[in-house]
Formats: sequence, structure tokens, C-alpha cells
Amino acid sequence: MLKLNLKLFFRSIKKHRGIFFINLIGLSTGLACVLLIALWVIDELKFDKFHENDNELYQVWNQFKGADGISTINWTPDLLAETMADKFPEVEYATAQTLPEWFTKVPLFVDGKTIKATGIFAGKDFFKVFSYELKQGDRAQVLSDINSIIISESMALKLFGTTQGIIGKAITCDLMNIKNEYQVTGILKDLPTNSTNQFDFVLPFESWKKASAIIGREIKWTNNGPLTYIVLREGTDVENFKSKIKNFTKLQNSNVEADLTLTKYSSNYLFGNFENGKQTSGRMDYVYLFSIIALFILLIACINYMNLSTANASRRLKEIGVKKALGSQRGSLIGQFFSESILTALGALVLALVLALLIIPEFNQITGKNLNLSFDLSTIGVIILIIIFTGLLAGSYPALHLSRFNPVAILRGTTKSSLSEVWIRKGLVIFQFALSIILIVAVSVVYMQIDYIQSKDLGMNKNNVIYFQKEGELQLNSDSFLNIVREVPGVIKAASTSQNIIGSDISTSGGLVWSGNSEDAKQAFYNIRVGYDFIETMDIKVKEGRSFKRTFSTDSSAIVFNETAIKAMRLENPIGKKIKYVGKTYTIIGVLKDFHFQSLQEAVKPMFFILDSDPKISEFLVHIENGREKEVLGEIEKIYSSFNPGYIFEYTFLDNNFQVQYVSEKRVSSLSKYFAILAILISCLGLFGLATFTAERRRKEISVRKVLGQTATQVTIMLTGEFVKLVLISILISLPIAYILSSDWLSSFAYRIKLRFWYFFAAGFVALLIAILTVGSQAIRAANRNPVKALKED
Amino acid sequence: MIQIKNLKKSFRTEELETYALNDVSFKIAEGEFAAIMGPSGCGKSTLLNIVGMLDDPSSGSYQFAGHEISGLKEYQRTELRKGNLGFVFQSFNLIDELTVFENVELPLIYLKVNKSERREKVLKVLERMKIAHRENHFPNQLSGGQQQRVAIARAVVTNPKLILADEPTGNLDSKNGVEVMNLLTELNQEGTTIVMVTHSNRDAQYAHKVINLFDGKVATENQNRELGTQIKEIGVMS
Repeated sequence: MLKLNLKLFFRSIKKHRGIFFINLIGLSTGLACVLLIALWVIDELKFDKFHENDNELYQVWNQFKGADGISTINWTPDLLAETMADKFPEVEYATAQTLPEWFTKVPLFVDGKTIKATGIFAGKDFFKVFSYELKQGDRAQVLSDINSIIISESMALKLFGTTQGIIGKAITCDLMNIKNEYQVTGILKDLPTNSTNQFDFVLPFESWKKASAIIGREIKWTNNGPLTYIVLREGTDVENFKSKIKNFTKLQNSNVEADLTLTKYSSNYLFGNFENGKQTSGRMDYVYLFSIIALFILLIACINYMNLSTANASRRLKEIGVKKALGSQRGSLIGQFFSESILTALGALVLALVLALLIIPEFNQITGKNLNLSFDLSTIGVIILIIIFTGLLAGSYPALHLSRFNPVAILRGTTKSSLSEVWIRKGLVIFQFALSIILIVAVSVVYMQIDYIQSKDLGMNKNNVIYFQKEGELQLNSDSFLNIVREVPGVIKAASTSQNIIGSDISTSGGLVWSGNSEDAKQAFYNIRVGYDFIETMDIKVKEGRSFKRTFSTDSSAIVFNETAIKAMRLENPIGKKIKYVGKTYTIIGVLKDFHFQSLQEAVKPMFFILDSDPKISEFLVHIENGREKEVLGEIEKIYSSFNPGYIFEYTFLDNNFQVQYVSEKRVSSLSKYFAILAILISCLGLFGLATFTAERRRKEISVRKVLGQTATQVTIMLTGEFVKLVLISILISLPIAYILSSDWLSSFAYRIKLRFWYFFAAGFVALLIAILTVGSQAIRAANRNPVKALKED
Repeated sequence: MIQIKNLKKSFRTEELETYALNDVSFKIAEGEFAAIMGPSGCGKSTLLNIVGMLDDPSSGSYQFAGHEISGLKEYQRTELRKGNLGFVFQSFNLIDELTVFENVELPLIYLKVNKSERREKVLKVLERMKIAHRENHFPNQLSGGQQQRVAIARAVVTNPKLILADEPTGNLDSKNGVEVMNLLTELNQEGTTIVMVTHSNRDAQYAHKVINLFDGKVATENQNRELGTQIKEIGVMS
């Protein structure tokens, strides 16, 4: 039976090639999308899950109750990890770890060679908590000596040219302006890309404590800094344990305000957002979003199959009737149609794999991932599931519908497409186009919003500004270095600053006192300590008063606010007013026009600048003339090297930091653009098939109409009109949905485009136009056939 | 073999109920050759479909070889149909995508006959229908007469007890028509019961019994064994 059905299937493909290829192309494009998205989703879901202790691995968080709810902070007291390991029997291992972002581009020296790398300080059980692979060195011992260092393989290659025989060799590290010599105790295999934690070397936490003492940072329970990770013993009741540790830090020191809580370490990647103390969403939103898009595209492709197969079935009715008369049960016919759709899906899979292989490099670039089509067990499993799902979905309607036909009617030749069948087919087309139009609108809105952000005047200049770390000798000669840099032709302005203004977590302070306000009012202000010329380098406009000037010796106690801050403080005529901050009195000398230092998803927050003449404040900013970047950068590098022999000049463009804020949005935007194009293409493919089929089936009717005097144009309009109606209905259905979805997405931006009527109108119009072009070509062909031919046939 | 009693079949539209068959009763004995005649729309084909178990009566009783058919579920009718009944249609109803051999083989597959036995049976029946040389052709490569011979081969390959023929000569010229009728007569003489719907008086005369339907009722029922034989001979000579 199976063999016979296979023969029937292949012979019918041969006979109805056109429809088969439309099905095949539609399904394979759809499947290729689904495959890529599935790879991406699997990769996302596996993130950070490779640690052996994954099930028992938790991160400890601080939670503060504030005016606007509970805020959750990853910074914890330095002593938390070791104390927890000591006091709670449930804790098997615990480790503190400094954030990788704290120490990027750390200079490392070996025999006159210098490289820059990212490092962390971590507790002695770090490699017991996490399963990062050690190529050399003993997991339990590598961090036990205060002067030990574990470096990654690629770092070893850069520093020593080999990974062999370097255990015990010395590396000098310049961290927080403290030079110290460490001995290599372990070689770390380069971290996998699906690890959130990314670093090149690890130093012992004891060394962090020592460095903290040197720079005068106190280690105490009220001071937060490193991250805390713990491994709970198997079988620990986590909820119970959570309530047990809630007040733990308060018990250590009554001045502590924070509660403790736990989240599973591997859940932090996908559920990185906290709302009022509860772990909510995060990247998981995108996992959902793209899974839905994949499902939609597959659905659109399957609808093509359903429509074309049932439409084409009138040609196969006799087969169904005869088989039923000869003793075939309905179940066996259903089986036959399902096996046909699964076979088609399999054929489409082969094409889809080829397509996916071709697209993967581009896809990786857009998603920033390193995916490949490896045929491991889980991927094959997923592929098999997708194929069965596709085959069953695509085959469902044809199988159930066609097997139901009454053989008597078929054999007598009295079967007509029932009204319900026609309506289902129309309904499916409407559904397909509605989905496509929603995607078109969504993509356009995302695109326009991203474009708006890119081109919106931030109130300051982010272009052609570089920043780099102040390290080595430069900390002592900061001013003379800056003076020489300012003389380089092509340098517009240069300044030093404690913090980067875009894309870093700018520190916030409360506790400002001004007239009409008491100390305990909890208004938080973002603030940066800057050097002279900072405001000019960033091109921030002064609204009232002035910025810091060398000519005013009193500026060491001057303060500059932004507009929002002045509004928040309700100060009238602010210039000259006194502000108390950390025990010192400042005078307001200027008010700056508001500028966007955070992502445009956020409204502008109150901010102030104070002057810091300490040469050790950490970064340089240089604004370079447009078009002269290369020559100027070369010049700065020379000056840098002369001040700082042995160090490497590494800089970043501020614009990069700005772009990083919108990486996710941009990825979503460019990915969904491709998906929207595909969705509309696959839909049109189906429409094309259906139009061809309709024109074919109505040949006789068209001929009669033409004989009776209808013109070719009228026939074309008649045939096209029928499909246009469907697309119009789908426009009516989809636009309100698209409106709701896009305004919902836009609401996450404090600064956003206005949704205008014509965006929706344009999307609908595009869909309509494409549909008319698709159907019209077939209609014109049908309308211009010689009517005599069709009439003679019967 | 076939016992039909007070059989009714009605079709319901929104406003009225029409009876395609109204209180039909007759018997057909094993080995009999019966023709059902009557004007268009009298219910011939409806009756044949019920006898062929493709359709279900609205009321009344239909017994086939002692089994009550009316009221059976579709899959039960299908099971009973397999192997017991063969169909010959006016428009042949061969599956275009299958070869002559595969078309004839199909009912045996449903009966789960093994492969070598299938091959043997199909070739035998194709020989008999004088169409074996065409076993690998597709239906659209054959003439109408050849197609009907394939259809008959398909109907008899399972050695059914009953063959149902719906205007078997309707799409054939007279020479091919006579050939088909002779084949049916031969099968009948070997013991197969045949029920045939026809418009043609000449075809009807091959039958032992003619049931005339009019407006869904049996108008007359005649036995014409002798006549049938005579006409057959004349038919062959002409």
C-alpha cells in the first residue's frame, strides 16, 4: 500500500509540477526561517547552563526599598560569600567575584611585552562554583595564593607564545594604578561564547582586599561591590533558604538597609530584569517574539500547502472515490494525505538546510552569535519535531477534508467545492495576509523609531569623540598630557572625567541639601566629576550662567546642574544659590540644557557636574575634527607612548557606546525586516498558486463570458477583484492589531515617534499592490485566452 | 443473495423532502443477472449505490447474503464491501496516475493479498480480458473499450460474489459495448451475481430479470431468461 501511495504521490507531482514547486519553495523558505530561529532559540536557552552545578548555582542580590518600589542590585558586600559559606550548612561553595566591566583593558607585562585584557578577582572556590575548564592547574588550589593568576589560553599565547611550561612564570599587572607581580598557577580554556561571564584572567580575591586597602576603599558590611555566587547543597529548599538569608546582612551590621535574595544563576541571562524586587522578563521576551514569528511564518507556508492541496484535490477526487469504493477506509486515506505532506515537508527540509547553510553567516552577523548547523542529537531531534509538526499542520486540512468526501458523489461526478471549503480557503488567505501586514507595519515602526533615535539631537555631541583610560605615568602628568594633545591640529577639545557619559552606569547620589529642602528628601542625582573643558568637549549647551573656567579660582566649589535637576529642586533663579553635598558647600554657576546621557527609552534624569582637579580621575575624552580621525589618532598615540612607555594606546569611540544601548532593538529590527519580507513573499506565492488554479478552473466560465461580450479587461478585473477583496479584508483586520502592538512596543521609549495614519495606510497599500501584481498577471493571461479552445474541450 | 424490503431514500433540502426511492422491495438470487431500468432521475443509480453499500438507505431493510446492511457504520460497510463486491462504472473511473496493472492490483492490496499472489491473479485476469500486453500502460494511453476491460478486470480480480455495473456500455461504441456485455454474461455464467443499471433495452436483454423503476418505485419486474439468451446471440452476430 505504502509503495503504491508513494508511486501515486510521485506521479501526481510529475503531473502537477507547478503547484508542487510552489508548495516546496514556500515550505522550504518557511522551514529555513524556522531552523535558523530554532538554532538561535536553542542557543539562548542553553546560555550559562553548561556549569555542572547549574541546578544548585545561585546569585545573591541586594534589595533596597525606595520611594518607587524595591530595587534589586547585583553589588553585594565583599565579605558576604565567605561569611555565607561559613554560617550556612546549606551552602556547599560560595565565591565573590568582581564585575568583568570594572577591569577591562588592564595592562599586563611580561619581559617587555604588554597586552591589555579583562580580569576579575574571585574567591578561592571560584572554580568549584563554576565549571570553566582548566587546561592546567588544580581547580582547588589555583587561587589559594594571594599572588596567583590564572590566564586564558589565548592570553598565554599572546604573552608567552605558548601554553606549555608557563606555570610559575611571572606577570606584572597594573590594576587601579597598583603594579603587582603575580605567578601563573593555571591555564583556563577560552570561555565558551554562551557564557555571560567573560574574562581573560582571574586574580585571588585576597589580592582585591589588599588593593582595596591601598586605595582606601573600606571593606565593611555597608559597602557593596563584588558579586556573590553560591552553590546550595542538593535537596535544599530554596524558598526556605531565601527567607533564612533575607536579613542576614542586617544581622551582621545594623546600618545595612538591604535585604538579600537569590536567583538561579542560569536564569539571569534570559530573565535579567527586576520589577519591584521580582525577577521578570529580559531577553526571554525576544525568545518568545522570535518563536512566535517562526510559528507565523511556518503557518503562512503551511496555509499555502493546505490551500493549494485542497484546490488541486478536485483533480484527485476520482482517486479518492475509487479507493473508497474498492474498500479503502477513511483512516488509510487520511494516512495517505499526511504521508504526502510529511514527504513534501521532508523534501522542503533538504532545500531548507541548504538555504539555512547559505544564510547562517549573515544571520550570525545580525544576531551577534556564532551558530552553526551541527547535527548533534538535540538539533536532529528539533528538526524531526519541526518536520512532523509541519507535515501534520500542512496536511491536516487536506487530509481531514478530502477523506470525508462521499464516494457516490465523486464517482457520479457531482462533487462541487462546497461553500464551506471555499470559505475556509478564503479565510486562510485572509489570515495569511493579515499576519504579513502586521509584520510589515511592525517592521516599519521599529525601523522608524530606531532611525529617530539615531538622528535625534541628544543635546550633546557623541560623534568623533574618543575616550581612553588614564594609566601608568599619565596619572601623574595628566595636565601636561592634555595640554599637548589640545595643541594637535584636528583636536577640537580634550578633557578628563571620572566617568564616561554614555553607556556606563553613572553613579547617583542623594543627600543634596538646598534651600527649601531637607537632608532626608530622597531625590537622587546622577553626577560626574569632571575636569576643565569637559562640558565643551561634549558640546553640551549652557542655558544659564557658565561652565567651569580656569580663570575662576572659586570653581573648585562650583556646581553645574541640568535643567531637569533645577526643575526637580524647584529652584527659581538658581545661579549663585548654595548647595550642600557630602559636607561641602557648592555654588551653582550654571544650568545646562537637558541632554540624553541614557538610552532614549529613559526620560532625562536630574544630573550635576562638579570639578575634580585630582589628576587621578580616570578617563580622557578627546573631540576630533570630522575627517581627520586617522592622523589625529596617530598623533595622540605618539604622545601617549612618550608619556607612557610600555603601555598600549587603546581607545573607543563614544558613538559605539551609544549604539550599544540599542543593539537588541537594532537586531530585532533587521531580523524582523527579513522575516516580514519572507512572510509577504510566501503569502504571495500561495496567492499566485491559487490565482493560477482559479483561472484554470474557471476557463469555461471565462470563455462563455467572453463569447457573450465581456471584454478581456472586464474579465481581468473580475478575477483580480475577488482576491483584492480578500486582501482588503485582511487589511481591515490586521491594522488595528498592528496599531496596538506597535504602540505597546513604542511605549517602552520615553522619546518616540508618533504613529501616523499613513504608516498603516502605506503598509496596507504595499500588501494590496503586491497582491494585485501577483494575481493580475494570471488574470490577464486567463482573460486573453482564445475562448473557442476552452469551449471545444467539453 | 440480495433481499430488499420497503427501502426508502430521501433527500432533504431546506423546504422539502424528496424521495429518490420510495418503498422499493425486490429479491435477487445468487447467480442471477439483474438489470435495473427506468428514465433519468427515477432512482436507478441511488439504488445501485445502496446495493453497492456506498450509500445508506433512509429506512427499510437491505440484506446481503444474510447480513443486514442498513444501519451499518461506514467502516463496517467498507469491510463488507471488500472482496465481496466489484464495481464497473460508465466512466471507467480508473486512477490516471496508476498503470493498468496497478489499477487492477488495488483491490487485492486492500484485501492484504501477498505480492506474488497478487501478481499471479492480476496477470490472470488481464489475460482473460485480453489486455495483458497493456499492463504497464496508463489509462489515458488506452481506448475506451480497453479502459472498460481494465475496469472489469479490476472488478473481478477479487472473485467477488456480486458485480455492480452502472451503465457499463454508456461511453462505448456498439462493438465494444457488445464485448463488455459478453464479458459480463460469461462472468455470470461462472456464477457471479450481476446487478446492472442501464438505459439500453438491448443491454437489458442480457439479464435474467429486469426491474423497472419509475419515480422511486418498482413499476414492473420481469423474468426474461430465454429472451436474454436469444438477444445475446443476435447481438454477437450483428
